[in-house]
Amino acid sequence: MKRILIVDDAATVRLYYRTILESANYSVEEAINGIEALEKIMLISFDLCVVDINMPKLDGYGFLKELRRQAIDQPPVIMISTEAQASDRQQAYRLGANLYLIKPVKPSELLTHVRLLLGEARA
Amino acid sequence: MPFIKKNNPTMDSYEHDCSRDLNELAVQLVDENPVIRRSAALNLAEHQGASEILIDRLKQDRDISVRDAILTTLISLGDTFAVIGLVECLRSEDAALRNEVVDAMKQLPEKVAPIMTSLLVDVNSDVRIFAVNILESLRHLQVETWLDRVIEDDPHINVCATAVDLLGEVGTSTSRAALIHLRSRFPDEPYICFAVNLALKRIGEDKGT
Repeated sequence: MKRILIVDDAATVRLYYRTILESANYSVEEAINGIEALEKIMLISFDLCVVDINMPKLDGYGFLKELRRQAIDQPPVIMISTEAQASDRQQAYRLGANLYLIKPVKPSELLTHVRLLLGEARA
Repeated sequence: MPFIKKNNPTMDSYEHDCSRDLNELAVQLVDENPVIRRSAALNLAEHQGASEILIDRLKQDRDISVRDAILTTLISLGDTFAVIGLVECLRSEDAALRNEVVDAMKQLPEKVAPIMTSLLVDVNSDVRIFAVNILESLRHLQVETWLDRVIEDDPHINVCATAVDLLGEVGTSTSRAALIHLRSRFPDEPYICFAVNLALKRIGEDKGT
């Protein structure tokens, strides 16, 4: 079972993504900010991360920057934000994001992109 | 100018010896050495008129430790210039700065509360989202009323989504009608329906009504 890390400070958002991903038989872990996410990644290997940008303590950009510095197997990262500004999107990709989605994300949209990034998409 | 004691060049002794003069501190605040900039930022807490200088540097300094010191001092000063300047930073293209400022404003509840009504109707939807984020730690009697108004009136789905997340934590049965109305405004948005149902469940109401 593929393991996915959800990083968002909003409990409702984490539960929403968890519900979608678990319904598709993914194993889900949660972190409430970038610092907690990095701590988890040092302990557990993840196949993919779904990361909010605006979070206290360490935001999504800070998390991504630190993650890409680590000498570990690098999981693909989906950044999800309320911000549609081009500068936000560019910054995310520059730091190593694999995908940048704008909230709100529909279940089918999330699952389609997760499956693509995990190499599970049907031809 | 001898910034550092020669016999004991530690940060503590440096900060002790650092100038307390506003003009000198303002010069040190743009020094190339981030240690000096950080120390100057902290020492400016003794100057009531320093907020404008600090806000100006906050927008420009890229060193996270210096920005942290500047925000610490702005929170300590907590005057009108500090609050207005922080609000302006919410409009920055620098996402890290925006998040740092939201955290800082959460620590100024008494100063932020009087401007919350205007922040919640700002023309910039990102500012409105940050305002809702700040509400989370405001612990103000009006919080639920403000959130109800947001989910009743705000046209932007992500502002409403952020508000409903918070209502799920702080809402009471007073918010029931506003939550149900929000769900009817965005019937085809799965996240809104999910968050409203969860909020209604948490405040003890029947989500099917």
